[in-house]
Amino acid sequence: MLSFPLLKQSVKSNSVMWGSMTGVMTLLCIQFSTLDMTRSLLFQIFYGMMTTILPGIYVLVTANKLLASQVDRGSMAYVLSTPVKRSTVTVTQAFYLVNSLILMFGIQTGAHLLVNRANPVSLATFGYTMLSGDLTSKMILQVNLSALMVCIALAAVCFMFSGIFSSTKYSIGLSGTFIGVNILANMLAMFGRLGVSGLDKFKYLTIVSFYDYQSVLFKNSDWVQKLIFPAVIALAAFTVGQLVFRKKDLPL
Amino acid sequence: MPDEIIKVSGLTKDYGNGRGIFGFDFSVKRGEVFGIVGTNGSGKTTTLRHLMGFLNPDSGSCGIMGLDCRKHAREIMQHVGYVPGEIDFPDVGTGTSFLKIQAEFMGLKDREYISRLVNLFKLDTDASLRRMSKGMKQKTALVAAFMSRPEVLLLDEPSTGLDPLMRDALIELILEEKARGTTVLMSTHIFKELDDTADRVLFIENGRQIDLADMHSMTETLPQRYRLGFKTQDDFDSFAAATAFRIARANPAHLHMDVEIPEQSVSGLFREIGNYDMRYMKYRPFTLEDRYTEMIEKGGKISA
Repeated sequence: MLSFPLLKQSVKSNSVMWGSMTGVMTLLCIQFSTLDMTRSLLFQIFYGMMTTILPGIYVLVTANKLLASQVDRGSMAYVLSTPVKRSTVTVTQAFYLVNSLILMFGIQTGAHLLVNRANPVSLATFGYTMLSGDLTSKMILQVNLSALMVCIALAAVCFMFSGIFSSTKYSIGLSGTFIGVNILANMLAMFGRLGVSGLDKFKYLTIVSFYDYQSVLFKNSDWVQKLIFPAVIALAAFTVGQLVFRKKDLPL
Repeated sequence: MPDEIIKVSGLTKDYGNGRGIFGFDFSVKRGEVFGIVGTNGSGKTTTLRHLMGFLNPDSGSCGIMGLDCRKHAREIMQHVGYVPGEIDFPDVGTGTSFLKIQAEFMGLKDREYISRLVNLFKLDTDASLRRMSKGMKQKTALVAAFMSRPEVLLLDEPSTGLDPLMRDALIELILEEKARGTTVLMSTHIFKELDDTADRVLFIENGRQIDLADMHSMTETLPQRYRLGFKTQDDFDSFAAATAFRIARANPAHLHMDVEIPEQSVSGLFREIGNYDMRYMKYRPFTLEDRYTEMIEKGGKISA
């Protein structure tokens, strides 16, 4: 079901974007969790926004490059003129997209775990005065798992557009709108949580709401249940993208 | 294994506004070089894309080696080399790494033939794919298509961007493959390539087949053509009025005309021109281009 030459090609052609996003995310994470000035904002800014914005940009660009742009530019002809099925192409590209995200979060999470072990932060630092104790490794893992799942769903929707459209114009256009609306609505909803009345309704407009770091910090299981929704969205979007790509006309 | 390697029957793809291809019917035998000629937008690329299994036909079907192109693309691709009409490579850096990945896709172990092709085309594979000139890209695409020594070659305007020397190298290579028994289907608008290589040539225009020329019988049975250049307008006019031969085309501005001489009657022509003041007379072999031009001038009648 996987084509290793194609996987190699995808790794090669997306390494710069993946590397820089992973680097920026990891550095920001280390900065937010070590510097006294920014520590208190680790959750509001870094986990609240950066863990969706940076991977969001990455999946927007990468999902388009994995299918639509290659069809648009014609380079997909070289893959499909070899004994590789279209379904193998979509499965391999989706595999690359998901696993590159897992690795991206893995590296950032690993860095955070190391930094946090050397220099633990108390939960009170983040403004949660009712909570006692330090930020634990378990919490870090859980928060990142929750964020990762939402990012996989974002990736899957972009991948779906990339599979449906043979033109970068439409693939990037719709994926960009989708990512933009989700991230913007999440930011507005965050202001709502911070007390701006009315803005909290924006949480219903974004699938990023299924990423719930507060639930992790408060040690309830809401975040676990919320994993199901992005998982279903991801599965549905990958399936639709794959089916359309298998059937459609390719101008190669 | 059927002797008909490529079979296209009733193939139709309607893009609306009269664009597309309509009711294409032809087959290509093993070891044959089959040309498709037509103006830009006449349907050459659409035909090849169907054969590659990239497009779903609206009606009709096409098959390679007895397998349906759309349903069995993977199996077919084990035996097919393809040069696309528009060349753009995956984003993998240099020509070398592109060819290496393509060889892995094809499961090629033997790299010797690849380096032979690279040498033949004088290709610098260390160059970055992005910075390659049009000709370099074309040569890289040709190496990728030929390197697995496929049984079937589908070439969409394979000589685009090549210099005359490289074009000749490509013709040599196609003839070499043909001698090996490879079936070649190529589209082009460069008639010389087909004059040198093709067994049969399909002419298409506005998405319809208009003629199928058998190159072997064409050159044998068709009348020979001579181009006659006259010194004066009077001679030009009076020869045109008096001659018993058919005038295929005349160019009063240059005072020359092409006349068709049936077999065995060239001495008749010599007798006729004895009375005129001639600048020159030369033999013009009947080429595909002549046939094509005539057909387009006649308005492209549809024939089998």
